[in-house]
Amino acid sequence: MRLRARFGGKMIAAVLILLIAAGAVSSLVYLQGMVLAKDFYIVGVSPGAPLIFDQRFHLVPVDPSQSGVALKSGRIDVYVTGKAAFYRADDRSQHAAGAIKKYLEKKEIARIADQYPLNQAFPLRVEVNYLKAPTENMSAAAVTLADIVRAGQESNSPSNPQTSSDDNLIEDENPLAGQPPAVYVPSESDELVKQQLEVLQSSSMVPEFKAEFASNKQVIVPSLMSPPIPLAQVLLAFAYILPIFFISIFFTSGFIEEKLGRKLNILLSAPVTPLQIILGKMLPYIGYSLIIVVLITLIFRGNLLLALAIFLPVILFIFAIYLGVALQYRTYRDQTFFSLVAVTVITGYLVFPAMFVGINDLSYISPLTLAVQMFRGESFTLLQYMLSAVPMLLVFLLSITVGTRVFNEEYLMNFKPLHVKVREAIYLAMDRRHLAVSAAVFSLLFIPVVFMFELAAITLSLNLPTPVALGFLVFTCVVIEEAAKSVTVAVTIERGLVKTWASVLWLAVVSAIFFFLGEKVLLFMSLSVISESVFTNAVFAGNLLWIPLLLHCVCTTIVCLITWRFGIKSYPLALLAGSIVHGLYNLSVIGVLR
Amino acid sequence: MKGFFSMALRELKALRKEKTIMFAILIQLFIASFSSVILLGIMVYYDPDSIGQNAQLRLDVGVLGDSESQFINLLEQRHHRVRVFSDAAKAEAAFKAGRLDAIVYIPEDSKDVVEMKLVLPEMDAQATLVLMLLKEPLEKYENYLREQQGLSVRYQDIRGKPFSTNEFLYTIIIPILMFFPAFIAGSMVIDSISEEMENKTLETLLSAPVSINQITGAKIAASVAVGLLQCMAWIFLLGLNGFSVQNAWVILILSVLVIAIVALLALLVSLVYRDRERSQFIYSLVILVLFSLTYFVNPSPFALVARLATGDPFVGAGQLLVYVVMLGLLIAVTPFVTKRLTKV
Repeated sequence: MRLRARFGGKMIAAVLILLIAAGAVSSLVYLQGMVLAKDFYIVGVSPGAPLIFDQRFHLVPVDPSQSGVALKSGRIDVYVTGKAAFYRADDRSQHAAGAIKKYLEKKEIARIADQYPLNQAFPLRVEVNYLKAPTENMSAAAVTLADIVRAGQESNSPSNPQTSSDDNLIEDENPLAGQPPAVYVPSESDELVKQQLEVLQSSSMVPEFKAEFASNKQVIVPSLMSPPIPLAQVLLAFAYILPIFFISIFFTSGFIEEKLGRKLNILLSAPVTPLQIILGKMLPYIGYSLIIVVLITLIFRGNLLLALAIFLPVILFIFAIYLGVALQYRTYRDQTFFSLVAVTVITGYLVFPAMFVGINDLSYISPLTLAVQMFRGESFTLLQYMLSAVPMLLVFLLSITVGTRVFNEEYLMNFKPLHVKVREAIYLAMDRRHLAVSAAVFSLLFIPVVFMFELAAITLSLNLPTPVALGFLVFTCVVIEEAAKSVTVAVTIERGLVKTWASVLWLAVVSAIFFFLGEKVLLFMSLSVISESVFTNAVFAGNLLWIPLLLHCVCTTIVCLITWRFGIKSYPLALLAGSIVHGLYNLSVIGVLR
Repeated sequence: MKGFFSMALRELKALRKEKTIMFAILIQLFIASFSSVILLGIMVYYDPDSIGQNAQLRLDVGVLGDSESQFINLLEQRHHRVRVFSDAAKAEAAFKAGRLDAIVYIPEDSKDVVEMKLVLPEMDAQATLVLMLLKEPLEKYENYLREQQGLSVRYQDIRGKPFSTNEFLYTIIIPILMFFPAFIAGSMVIDSISEEMENKTLETLLSAPVSINQITGAKIAASVAVGLLQCMAWIFLLGLNGFSVQNAWVILILSVLVIAIVALLALLVSLVYRDRERSQFIYSLVILVLFSLTYFVNPSPFALVARLATGDPFVGAGQLLVYVVMLGLLIAVTPFVTKRLTKV
């Protein structure tokens, strides 16, 4: 209803025209094949050179006699003849050579496939097998190397239970016999080669949801080997998360409009609780988002229940952050940029870990990893699900808790600086009679937030040269962690809720311990996802736990006591002091300092 | 004119107070970093050669079967360590003890199809890496086998440098960094205009001795100045990171032209729709459509920046003429439109 009120009449027409235009443009681009920089490389071609159909290459016909001069003067980057290619030593020319090499190689493969029989064109087939990782229990391995290779040792390998029942490539290649068959027998791998060739030639733009390079027993042909496309996650992110973003922006602006129009004041005086108001405002939008998730899953033919289970936490998470935007907001420009920051942080959190699917199992922090697996038809464990869902639900809980506590006219309408508003929000949200409990709960709830900011820091650090990036990363992460642990205590000091240094110390230690415990539980979960092996034992066996715990306590205490002694104005400096101690420890663990 | 400058200064001050620029820069940093993440992904997947070359990773490969095979030489050329086993059980023991990254079984070279077998560790990440590193020797061996059968593959000896990183940087990142300030500038103009309209401060301003065109002009000038600063900062930062941008002046002028065009369009949109939310929405759509339409222009603004930045001799300041003409037309038309729209 809101949507209709706002976007009626002329607006609809304008939007429709623009959308049709956008659709037409994108379909045209799709048909032509997307090339961002046409004519990026300048390629000189001789009369006998192969035809080049790639818009990235700016083709300049050059006579062979002129080619040397043209190349040297920089008028062309590469010179291609019917047999070879020539280029200079500088970067511009070298990159162009790399690009044309890739293009010509692909063309050569197509030519060879076209002109020669399959067994000559693709004389090498590689069957990929997997053996259990070295750390695993050996006796547990069901398949042995001898099974895989059958390098003629069948007689002296008793561990071999089956005899060439499921292997289709073995029969005609016993190397001990050493006699290749005289006549070529079309092997079954020919079929596979044909399939891979078709995939190559169709060169579709739609990414495959491929689990890995090659599954067990898969036969690969080196020149046709196509790596999995890492953009599947990004594609999923766009399909699911973009619509949710749109809806949540309407939620925020609806909220703000009521705030400005003083309609919230009327609501506040009505006999409803803040929680009811917030949830009541959020619920319809969450409903729309769920409908979108259902629709998209149906379009992509995914598993509906799984998709809902995966994306409900995501929806709550996104709305939680936008609730924060709506509560903190002061002016229009604020809102635009808060929203943009929220978009980047959320996308960072969701997409960044998902880029490492199959490379690092910490990628399970992102629900998109689960979504990719769902579409591939693979299963995942409850633990893996929890690893992605629990942090997001915690953020939701934090946002709702703080939201309901600060939901009063004075807080919502004031125009104080951001850091003051954040401190005020913490003060309003904490239980002033049970300070230790508040400190513990906040420490736990801040963990996913810390994680989000640390991921953002990692992403940012990629812009910097490596040594600087490492320093930047260690330092920012330390500051973020120290701030999360000490900010609650600092607020109690600011408000005069604690009277003695002993109680400051007590709060600091409680805060540090709970932060540490929560963080380790998360780490433990992610480690056990990574492998149920020796790794976790190692972490929990030695002194590896006591030292960091002590460190966390010491650093938080430093920050809190300095703040207590010199007042809240000194908090940034106190934070810096605690962070330096923490940072030095971290650097020495990494091995930078000795 | 004095009124104009004080108006522009007023805009800039408002911006500084809002710390919006900090946010804007943060966002662009994010874009840049994201692209480096994606870049990492692309490099890992599409350009495994570059990883082998850069990281100098060496594998320990166990070989079963033909110990004279050309494949062994190819592996050693890439500095991988090869150990030949005669017994599968021993190879397996070495593999399980973690002394081997992969095992290949090579049948004798033959006139026929060679059916090699590759054994990889079951851990996903490691297997992917090993396979990527083995791709090049495998391809070379494949070509060797083709040659054995009298089939020659051309263009094998081109070396060149891995290009995907470079292509990605110059054709996507740098153009985005140069044009994103324009998008922000337009968004800022809309915010500023619609805020004044909704708070009714525009009428107060108009009662002072300044014309509507001075007010709007000042807002646009302020946004162009901010945009230009961002572009300059980016070129400087790219230089610090060792990426040279050729024709930097031409690119900066192009960016300013585009920022001004986008800001003027934003102004028109905000004057037509008046309320902020609708203006922002329509503005985003208009920009989206316009930018995708430029794809059909050759060179498109994106390609123009990319080619200027790499020092392509076929492009230069002459290509800016189109943008100058467009901006001139917009500047000529806008005053009439603003006058009509603000009369009410």
